[in-house]
Amino acid sequence: MIGLCLSDPHPDRAGDGCPVRTLSAARYAGRYRLVDFMLSNMVNSKIYSIGMILNSHYQSLIGHIGMGKDWDLARKSGGVMFFPPYYADDRRSVNNELDGPLQRAAEHLAEQKTEFLVLADSSIVYNMDYRKAFEAHKKSGADITAVYTKKKITPGERENTVSFDLTENGRVSGVGLAPPNAGTINVSLGAYIMHKRHFIQLTAGEKNCGMLRFSRVLLANALDRLDVNSYEFKGYSAHICSVETFFHYNLDIMDVDNRNALFDFEGRQIFTNRRDSLPAKYGKNAEIKNSLVADGCQIDGTVINSTICRNVKIAQGAVIKNCVLQDDTVVEKNATLDCIITDNSVLISENRSMMGYRTYPVYIERGRVI
Amino acid sequence: MRISERKECIAMLLAGGRGSRLKSLTEQVAKPAVTFGGKYRIIDFPLTNCVRSGIDTVGIMTQYQPLLLHEYIGKGQHWDLDLLHGGVSILPPHSKPGSTAWYSGTANAVFQNQNFIESFAPEYVLILAADHVYKMNYRTMLDYHKSVNADCTIAVIEVPLKDANRFGILNTASDDSVIEFEEKPDKPKNNLASMGIYIFNWRTLREYLNNDEIDTDSSHDFGGDVLPAMLRDGLRLFAYRFDGYWKDVGTEESLWQANMDLLDDLHLGFEDWHILSRSEGRPPHFISPTGSIKNTLITEGCEIYGSVENSILSVGVVVEEGAVVKDSVIMENARICKNATVNYSILDEETVVSEDTIAGESREIGGKLNVYSRGTVFKKKVTERRRKK
Repeated sequence: MIGLCLSDPHPDRAGDGCPVRTLSAARYAGRYRLVDFMLSNMVNSKIYSIGMILNSHYQSLIGHIGMGKDWDLARKSGGVMFFPPYYADDRRSVNNELDGPLQRAAEHLAEQKTEFLVLADSSIVYNMDYRKAFEAHKKSGADITAVYTKKKITPGERENTVSFDLTENGRVSGVGLAPPNAGTINVSLGAYIMHKRHFIQLTAGEKNCGMLRFSRVLLANALDRLDVNSYEFKGYSAHICSVETFFHYNLDIMDVDNRNALFDFEGRQIFTNRRDSLPAKYGKNAEIKNSLVADGCQIDGTVINSTICRNVKIAQGAVIKNCVLQDDTVVEKNATLDCIITDNSVLISENRSMMGYRTYPVYIERGRVI
Repeated sequence: MRISERKECIAMLLAGGRGSRLKSLTEQVAKPAVTFGGKYRIIDFPLTNCVRSGIDTVGIMTQYQPLLLHEYIGKGQHWDLDLLHGGVSILPPHSKPGSTAWYSGTANAVFQNQNFIESFAPEYVLILAADHVYKMNYRTMLDYHKSVNADCTIAVIEVPLKDANRFGILNTASDDSVIEFEEKPDKPKNNLASMGIYIFNWRTLREYLNNDEIDTDSSHDFGGDVLPAMLRDGLRLFAYRFDGYWKDVGTEESLWQANMDLLDDLHLGFEDWHILSRSEGRPPHFISPTGSIKNTLITEGCEIYGSVENSILSVGVVVEEGAVVKDSVIMENARICKNATVNYSILDEETVVSEDTIAGESREIGGKLNVYSRGTVFKKKVTERRRKK
C-alpha cells in the first residue's frame, strides 16, 4: 500500500488569532504534532511511501517532518513526498490561481506500481494498523473501505466531523454532518482504503481538497455508483479541529487508559522528531499533580491538570491550572493561569493573572509578552 | 591506503574498557554505554564534544561487552556523525594475516588501527577516553597545541593537592611544558591532573607506537609508556589547562555524585553546549494526582504515582502509588512498585522493586550507597543489601 495524506486548513475562531500553521502541525500531548500519528500509523502498517498534500501555512509541518528520518522514512525508495501548491508556469503573477497539488499527486500515484492506497487525515489521532482494515477491504470486495469509530463527539467537533450512515451489512449509505446532541454515532476517522484508480477518478478536476470536502462532497456524491464498505476501529481517537477540541483533547490524555490506548496500543509506538532536550528539572518548590510534562522543562511552581510542552519554564510561586503551555513558554514568579493555551515562546510576566473557562479557553498567540 | 578525504585532525575514542570499578553496572555493558543523567550514556559527552569542536571523524575502539554500545552508536546519526566522509567508525579488535590480537593497552589499540588513521592522512590525532562527564572545546586545545608547537599536548585540570595522589600528575615548567609525569604519586609535587585527553602530531605518534609495539617490557599504555618515552627523548610535551566541569565517573560513588551535580547545574557550566544523545521518543512523563516530585530530573516515558525527591530518573521509570524514591539514580525502565521505598541507591536498568520492599539505606542516617544490578527483582520483605559479586 501507499499512503496519501489530506489535511484541512486550520480553523478560525473570530478574534482569537488561531495558530498560524496547518492543523497537522498543531501540538498534542506535550511533544507530538498531530501529523505524527498519521505518519506512525502508516509506518507501523509497513507503508513507507507517503504523499502529503499541502495547502497553506505548511512551513512548520515540513520543518517538523524534514526528510522523515525519525519515522524511518528517509529511504532510497519511497519516503515522504510533499505536494505543495505552486504557480502554474505561464502565470507567475501573485494574483493568478495556484496550480493544484492534487493533480500532481494523482499523476504520482498513477506512476507507482503499488495499486492500493490509504488516504488519511493528519488531524485525527489514533493508533491503528491499517493492514487489518486492508485485509477486510480485500475480503469485502468493496471499492472503498471507510474507517470509522463509534463515539460521542464533543460540541466543538460537530462542524468538522463526518458521520456515516451504515446499512445492516456495514455498507456506507450516507455521509453527513453529525446531528446536534446526538448520542453515539459512527464518526469517520478520515481514513479510506481504495484502489488508486478510484481516488484518481473521484478527484479528477479538483485542484486541491481537504479531507472534509473529500468525504462530504466527492465521496457522498459517488455513493450511488461505488460500493463503500466500513471498518470499525475500536481504540481511542481524538479529532482536533478547533481551539476547544485542541484544549479538550490535550487534557483528555491525562487519563491513563487514553494514554495507553494511544501510545502503547498493541505494542505500536508513535514516533516524533527528536531534539535531545535536557531532562525536565523540578525544583525544591515544585508542586505538580495530574500533568503531562515534556523534556527540557524547568518547573519550580505549581502545575495542576495541564499539558506542558518542551522547554517551558515555570518559576516559583506561579500557579498553572488546566493549561496547555506550548514550547518555550516562560511563566514568571507568582503568575496565575487557568484554562489558558499559550503558543510557542509566550512570556507571562511576574504576578500576571489570566483565566479562561473550560468551554472557552483563552489562546495566547506565539511570542506574545503578557 | 586510499585517502578518503584528508582531515586535519581526527579523534580516536578508547571505548573498550570495562570500567571494573563500576562493578555490577558494567557486567553486561561497556562503561561508555552506562546511563547517565536521565537520558544520556557516558559516550555522548566525548562524541558531542567532538561534533561541537568541528571534529567530524571519530574512530571508536571497542572490545569489552560491545553489543549495546555498538547498537547505541549506530551509524553515528544521533550526533550528526553519519557522514559521507568521516563520521563514526566502530573499530573492534580484528584478525589479520599472521596475527589475532585483542587490544592489549590503550596505545596498542591505536597502533592496531593505524590504517584507519592513515586513510584520513591527518596532521593531528586526538586521543579520548569515554569515562568522563565534561563539556570541552577540543578545537581550542588544538589551537593551543599548534601555537606552542608541541609534539603532544595533554589536557589537565587542577585538583586539590590532597586528592592529587589519585591522578596522573604532570609536573610542569613555567611555560606549562611538561618536565615530569607521575602516575598516582605518593607525594605529589603539583596539582595538575591529566584528563586522559591527548593531541599528538600523527607522524610522531606513529613512530612511537611502532617502537612501543616491539618493546617487550611495555604495557602499551599512553600514560605509562608512550608519554614517558616521548619525555625521555626530549620531545615537546605541553599541558593544556582546562577549568570547566570535569568529573570522573569511574566508581559507583562518583557516578552517583556526577548525576546529582546535574541537580545543581543542569548545564555543567556550559549552557550553549547541548549534549546530543539517542532520545527514545517516548511520550512525555506523567505525574498523577497522587504523585509528588521535588528537586529531581526526570525524562520521557516516566509515570509517577508515588513520591520522588532529590533523584535522577531515566527513560520509562514507573513509581507506583505510595512508593518513595529518595537520593537515588534510577536507570531505564526500572519499576518501583506500590509502597516500596528506594533510598540512596543506584538502580540499574530493568530493576524491579516489588511491593512493600525497601531498597537501600537512608542517607541522612549515614547509610552507604547501594547499587542494584541490571534486572534485579526484589522479592517481598527483602531488606538486606543485595549486591551481585
